[in-house]
Amino acid sequence: MSGPLLLLRRLLVVPPVLLAASVLVFALPRWVDVDPARAVLRARTAEAVPDPATEARVRAELGLDRPVVEQYLRWLGGVLRGDLGLGYVSRTPVVEQVGSAATVSGLLTVLALALAAAVGIPAGVYAARRPGGRWDRFLGAGTIAGVAVPEFVLAPWLVLALAVWAGWLPAIGWGGPEHLVLPVLTLAAYPGALAAQLVRAETVGILQRPHVLLARSKGLSGQRVLWRHGARLATTSVTALAGMFVAGLLGGSVVVEVVFGIPGLGRLLHRAVPAQDLPVIQAGTLVVVAVAVTAGVLVEAVATALDPVRRTAERAG
Amino acid sequence: MIVTTPGVRVLAALTTAAALLAGCGSPSGGGTPDPAGALTVALQFPPRSDYAFDADDGKLLSYLGVAETLTTVDDEAAAAPGLATGWEQDGDTWRFTLRPGVAFHDGTPLTPEVVVTALRHVAGVEAPPRSIRGIGFEIEADGADAVRISTAEPDPVMPLRMSSGNLAILAPAAYAGGGAPDYLRTGTGPLVLDAVNGVESAELLRNDDYWGEPAGAARITVRYVEDPQARALAVQAGDVQFAEGLPAAQLEQVRSAGAEVVAYEGARTVPLQLNQSRAPFDDVRVRRAVTEAIDRPVLAGQVLAGSARPAADLFGPAVPWGATEPPAGADAERARTLLAEAGYGPENPLTVQLWTFPNRPELPTLANAVQAMLGEAGIRVEVTVGNYEAQEPEVLAGQYDMFLNSRSYLSDFPDAASTLTSDYTCAGSYAIDQYCSPAYDALVERLNGTVDPAQRRQLFAEAAGMLTADAVGVMLVHPLNTAVLRGATGFTPDPLQVRPVLPQLIPAG
Amino acid sequence: MTRRRGPSLPVIGPVTGPAALPVLLLVVLLLAGPLLLPDPDRADFAGLLAGPSAAHPLGTDQLGRDLLSRLVHGGRLTIGLSLFAVLLTGVAGVAVGMLAAVTGRFGRLVIRLVDVLAAIPVVLFGLLAAVALGPGTGSLLVAVTAIAWTPFARQAHLLTLAEIGREYVTAARALGAGPVRVLAGHVARNLAPPLAAHACVRFASTLLTVSGLSFLGLGVQPPTAEWGAMVAEGREYLFTAPQVVLVPSGAVVLTAGTALWWGRRWDRIGAR
Repeated sequence: MSGPLLLLRRLLVVPPVLLAASVLVFALPRWVDVDPARAVLRARTAEAVPDPATEARVRAELGLDRPVVEQYLRWLGGVLRGDLGLGYVSRTPVVEQVGSAATVSGLLTVLALALAAAVGIPAGVYAARRPGGRWDRFLGAGTIAGVAVPEFVLAPWLVLALAVWAGWLPAIGWGGPEHLVLPVLTLAAYPGALAAQLVRAETVGILQRPHVLLARSKGLSGQRVLWRHGARLATTSVTALAGMFVAGLLGGSVVVEVVFGIPGLGRLLHRAVPAQDLPVIQAGTLVVVAVAVTAGVLVEAVATALDPVRRTAERAG
Repeated sequence: MIVTTPGVRVLAALTTAAALLAGCGSPSGGGTPDPAGALTVALQFPPRSDYAFDADDGKLLSYLGVAETLTTVDDEAAAAPGLATGWEQDGDTWRFTLRPGVAFHDGTPLTPEVVVTALRHVAGVEAPPRSIRGIGFEIEADGADAVRISTAEPDPVMPLRMSSGNLAILAPAAYAGGGAPDYLRTGTGPLVLDAVNGVESAELLRNDDYWGEPAGAARITVRYVEDPQARALAVQAGDVQFAEGLPAAQLEQVRSAGAEVVAYEGARTVPLQLNQSRAPFDDVRVRRAVTEAIDRPVLAGQVLAGSARPAADLFGPAVPWGATEPPAGADAERARTLLAEAGYGPENPLTVQLWTFPNRPELPTLANAVQAMLGEAGIRVEVTVGNYEAQEPEVLAGQYDMFLNSRSYLSDFPDAASTLTSDYTCAGSYAIDQYCSPAYDALVERLNGTVDPAQRRQLFAEAAGMLTADAVGVMLVHPLNTAVLRGATGFTPDPLQVRPVLPQLIPAG
Repeated sequence: MTRRRGPSLPVIGPVTGPAALPVLLLVVLLLAGPLLLPDPDRADFAGLLAGPSAAHPLGTDQLGRDLLSRLVHGGRLTIGLSLFAVLLTGVAGVAVGMLAAVTGRFGRLVIRLVDVLAAIPVVLFGLLAAVALGPGTGSLLVAVTAIAWTPFARQAHLLTLAEIGREYVTAARALGAGPVRVLAGHVARNLAPPLAAHACVRFASTLLTVSGLSFLGLGVQPPTAEWGAMVAEGREYLFTAPQVVLVPSGAVVLTAGTALWWGRRWDRIGAR
């Protein structure tokens, strides 16, 4: 089976997963005994006292008075036409809300990953030249810290240091390029540490292979050996980072977007949860699952393409 | 646009120093007023419903100084002229005379027809604003300069209702689409809403043709920042010149950064609601014991670090009829005696459940403090912080012991009748305490026929006094509002939260 | 670079020595702490935001509650939840992964599905569980278990595939050992070190998710002590009483860091 066909076959798994996710997301809030009409009214008007007549009208407005199956099919039909409905609270099209939020989150994530790769990959290669050396141990500790310090700890300290004390950057907000620095720094710590760690392990492995040892003993410098494997190294780490992209899209970004006040997907969902804004939650979840699953499949395919052993196994299977 | 490069900061610092040396130093937060300047402000509540008038966002447009209502209110919480200059009642009808010579931001004039279109629109949506819901609201033009508003029953407070920001009037063009009104450049206020960037920000420009006093700044950028911590940091980093709703713990910090901090009363009460439909709080002695055991001055002063005022009553100093005397501290001895009379003591200890929710961060904190205070008096309290949406049906059905809530006692316009009715009458739709007293209901009933503002205030105070005497719940604290200015002046607090805020602000270099 | 084939479990080596000290200290503190320390919810309005003293070794928070006691009780909850989740997802994931490795076509289908699910971020489940169940410890537990077994399954699947290709398995089967016995006995033994390494990393990431969701208000609710919730509660006192934020933040970072460091040790043992 050729590469593209293989990829296509793997991508076939995405639609059923999305469909399953849509049923799950649609059913979730209906398991609990919370009246969405009441929650929506309270989200629109704080401390609204119960008012059955108004709630009934709002229920009809939102289509919540129909049978659940009909609601689901209506919604699914809309999704297939690219219409995700109106947000319960804002009454503006969900497509626009989720679209602009996903763009913001995507920008943040791509920048953070670029920074992580730019710092993490050279640092990992450098450390691998002398495993166990001073720089290697330093990097080892650094990568542990990069993973172990969560965004909710890192972000306030970065704001304190660079915005409040040094006064170089705005503390919060969104708009200009200056607003990007602190969130991207915060988000980059985790993938950066991971990239450095991966690249280091990979490089150490390469440098210890028999033919490399032979080449080095013949006088070929370590630098040149590394260059030869550079392409492979870069792809491995970029692939791994792309995997990170998926988890990072929401994992770290909810905290970062909430703390810095960034209008991304994470904050959109975080706000929609207490308001029971089902269309927004449903659409946001579908977007995240779609991106995550598709990216996961692509990453897996690239990894297979790079690894001869797995490639053979895959074709046989 | 606010520049935050170090060079400009140094320059600004030098300028300030020079000004101080020249003897024209001004108090913190001040500086030289510069009406041609621009401001950036951080506001607490973003427009979650796209500035819709049937949601809280409706009030936002008035708060920003963009849209205006027929009336506003004065310091005594009485109706004052807005887009209407006068009004008179005739049975179940009120006639409002419109202000002459008012033009919308798009140039069209204010006419009775425009007012009718605007108010009919908002009265006709699925969930009309509370200020005009369920009263049989009708409106029609009356001559060339007036509108007539009628209701099913004679309404004593129509001019006050008309001050609600949900009832602001926009230009005819705003309603042309048939759907939600278009809010860009369609108001009448001192500031023009020029651009909106979702729930993030909005751009306001001064309306040079305003009928009243012009806005203090030529241009205002509004940033909606929900996180209180982030607002405090934005002030400290110099991102914004005005911010509202800062955490108490940060006030000292922003003050030392040179900001002017204004704390003012808010029309809000944090009540500890007690379920009197079942034991143990059906016994007034137990309710009194709880009241005696709780040290409200400590709750306000220490637990909330001065960010609230201890409550003596349902109504606080934010309203003219509110209690101004602080409540007494705790009397654990008296509490124990009352408990013993009710049959509880060391051999038969009282254990109760206290529910609250985390949406307002002071509530879990207060719940913890109440737990400690009642523990001193021998009442064991188990605290559950949960989801309000799930708790509400239970507490409304009387399936709880204690509920720590947070209530604004003025809903949308400065009159307490609706809160007194919904929260404490026998048939009230939000009667969480399950309180039912014919005497109280009769008192509240009298409000329907009372037009005179002074008499109404008298009745409000009496009703609140009755609640306190019956120990219906424990009114714990009235949270204070805060505003911070750093690089701006002119802020006058409005505890009723009806009057616009942004037009007052003047940039100060 | 040959993997150990004998039955001896490489456990003794890494547990002894100074490496075990921080873990031991933590365990003692978490187990014995509640017996020695005051009630973590006990407010003391006379001593708000106090610095360290004999009565309160780490100081007090905004309600005068003992920070050390809250740290310990919060740790029991945060670490307990994370450990429970890792154990649960570990057992489930390893079982699925190993079975998938020996069940041919069906196994390949299962693991394809697992690959897809593994891509979905855990925080998404935190948000959804909060919608369905309301934010709380229950929704938190659902969030960190619903999908978190998939990495274990993938890891166990890959390792088992590699392992059953080796001579010793063939030999054992030739001697008459059934597939379950081979899996449970021989293969599992050699899988232990890399899976322990993986479990350490998963523990760290679960801990960060648990505290992160609580920080966002989607997990454990105040006044219950939980490290992430403590950071959220104390954020506004960052300037006036930094210990309120520093203590729980430091605890999260140190615990996660220790787990990751242990993960690296197990990794080295696995590669030996």
